[in-house]
Amino acid sequence: MLIADISETYTDLVTMIFSSTIAAKAWFATAAVVLALVQVTTAARIYGRLSFLPERGAATACVHRWSGRLAFLFTLPVFFHCVTILGFQTPDTRVAIHSLLGTFFYGVFAAKVLIVRDHSLPRWALPTAGLTLASMLVVLWVTSSLWYFTTVRFGF
Amino acid sequence: MGRGWRPILVGGAVVAGTFALAQAEIFAPSAPAGAAATGDIYRGETVYQRDCAGCHGAGGEGGVGPPLFETGLDAAEVAAAVQQGRGVMPAGIVSGQEQVDVVTYVVSLSSPSE
Repeated sequence: MLIADISETYTDLVTMIFSSTIAAKAWFATAAVVLALVQVTTAARIYGRLSFLPERGAATACVHRWSGRLAFLFTLPVFFHCVTILGFQTPDTRVAIHSLLGTFFYGVFAAKVLIVRDHSLPRWALPTAGLTLASMLVVLWVTSSLWYFTTVRFGF
Repeated sequence: MGRGWRPILVGGAVVAGTFALAQAEIFAPSAPAGAAATGDIYRGETVYQRDCAGCHGAGGEGGVGPPLFETGLDAAEVAAAVQQGRGVMPAGIVSGQEQVDVVTYVVSLSSPSE
C-alpha cells in the first residue's frame, strides 16, 4: 500500500466520526488520560494508599490491568498521527514540550512494563515508573488536547 | 551489567526508535496532485483548526464565513484570500510556512469528492 494511501485511509476513518483528525487525537488522548488516572488510583489502592476507597483485592488489580491496556490502545492512533505524520517539531514552547515528552513516552512505557515483570528491582521502582508515565501523559494531554479544547473548539 | 539496567536500556532504545520515526515522518503525505502549494496538509490542518475553523467551520462547512468544503477552490484563490483578506476576513491571518500549509489543507477540503 502506498504511504499516501495509508494516511488518507486513516484520515477517512477518523473523519467518519470526528470533525477532523486533530479532534480525534484530542478525544483519544483524553480517554487515555482518564484511564491513566484510574491506573494511578487503583495502583495507590493496591499499595495500601487511599484507604477511604473500598478494598476489592482481585477486582482492583483487574481494573488496574484493563485500564492500562485500554489506555495504551487509545494512545496508538495518537502515536500514529503525531510520530509518523507530524514528526518532531519545535515551533513554539508548547509544541516543543509536547514533542520531547512524546518522544520519551513509549520508552518510559516499555521500561515500566519490564519493571512490572522484574521482581528483583527495589519496591519503589514500579510506583516511580508508573507515576512518571502518568505524569508524562497528563502533560502531553495539557499541551495538546486541553490546548485544542480551550483555544480551538470543544467538540467532536 | 545487572538486570536492573534492562528497563533503562530497552526504554532508551524505544525512545531512540521513536525519535527516528518522528524524524522520518514516514506517513506524511506530499501536497495533493494538482495543487500549486507544497505545504504539509496535516500541519495545515492544525493551523486551520486554530485560525480558520471559528468562521469556516471545523470541517469547512461554513459559518460566519463561507463554506470551503468541496467548493473547488484552487491554491492560488485560497492563497490570495489569506494574503489579501476577503469580506470581513482580515488580510494575513497566517503567513510564511503556516500559510503554505493551510492553503494545502484548504485545497484538499475544497476538492470535490470523486
